[in-house]
Amino acid sequence: MAQSLGREPMKFEIYRYHPETDSKPRMQAYEVEVERGMMLRDALLAIQAEDETFAFRHSCGEGVCGSDGVNVNGVNCLACTTPVSELKPPVQVRPMPGRPVIRDLVVDMSQFYNQYQSVDPWLKRTEPNPEHEIRQSPAHRDQLDGLYECIMCGCCSTSCPSFWWNPDKFLGPQALLTAARFVLDSRDQATAQRLDALEGPYKLFRCHTIMSCVEVCPKGLNPTRAIGQLKAMMLKDAV
Amino acid sequence: MSRQASGLQAWAVQRLTAIYLGGFFIYLIVAVLLDPPASVELWRARFGGVASVAWLLFVLALCWHAWIGIRDVVLDYIHPPVWRLSALVAFGGGLVACALWGFKIILLAAGG
Ligand code: SF4
Ligand code: SF4
Ligand code: FES
Repeated sequence: MAQSLGREPMKFEIYRYHPETDSKPRMQAYEVEVERGMMLRDALLAIQAEDETFAFRHSCGEGVCGSDGVNVNGVNCLACTTPVSELKPPVQVRPMPGRPVIRDLVVDMSQFYNQYQSVDPWLKRTEPNPEHEIRQSPAHRDQLDGLYECIMCGCCSTSCPSFWWNPDKFLGPQALLTAARFVLDSRDQATAQRLDALEGPYKLFRCHTIMSCVEVCPKGLNPTRAIGQLKAMMLKDAV
Repeated sequence: MSRQASGLQAWAVQRLTAIYLGGFFIYLIVAVLLDPPASVELWRARFGGVASVAWLLFVLALCWHAWIGIRDVVLDYIHPPVWRLSALVAFGGGLVACALWGFKIILLAAGG
């Protein structure tokens, strides 16, 4: 939507829910004077200034911390890197889908973090650690591009239908991207163990290549490709 | 079903059977378009010899592919164990019956 230079009122509808006092969630309408270059996070801050009962998470304001993932007009994104000029009013802002709501846009991400933890997101060595850093060729380093940049915002996993249906068993795109990040790291020495851990019908193979994760990643990462790499490596291991 | 069969193997079989099904469909369409069998006898001839093996494989691939697909849907959407088991047994049994029926048709056509 084209935006003029001055301030313009824009309509927002925000998901409001306080589980301790509200019997059910509701959408509340607000109007914000939007300025050129304004991000959705700024608009949410303006709403909060007007109505301090409204809760949402945010921190860095520049797409680094990953704390302000929200669902806007049906699509997950980071509020701080989403220009309001790109949104169609009334802008409907909801919490990320499928997660228990703590309050308003604040959701409980514990399960998502547990899935991340379950892939052992650290380098594993069988050899004793050397005195100096473990060296990597530039080609090996390149393998990690598109994997290490994840900021764990959860936009991908919470827009993945397979994660909605089986969040306790399917690891979800974020954790699988992380698994690939360590499986493909030349310095890691637990490749076979990591691949074995992904076997079975759920952890990895609930992914049906729907690619909702790729569409929403604010860092432009491609979990589907990483999942494909994991499957290919498992296949190579098996034959 | 072993642990292997439930994850990677199912995924690989799904892809292999898809390739066979795709190839066989193309062959069928081309064969019927280029040389449409004029009579029942000529149709039957298409099921004899090597062709009968290809047809049997086709039915097997079709049912196996369908099984993996339906199992995926059930694992995604049906969570209570009793319902899940019932659904798997019903679909699995149905597919086995279809496969046997298909085999019978092919073998009768090939033998007759
Ligand atoms: S590609 Fe896989 S991980 Fe990504 S959204 Fe689809 S099912 Fe989920
Ligand atoms: S892969 Fe992208 S969308 Fe998913 S958690 Fe990481 S940064 Fe967020
Ligand atoms: S506030 Fe840190 S990523 Fe948006």
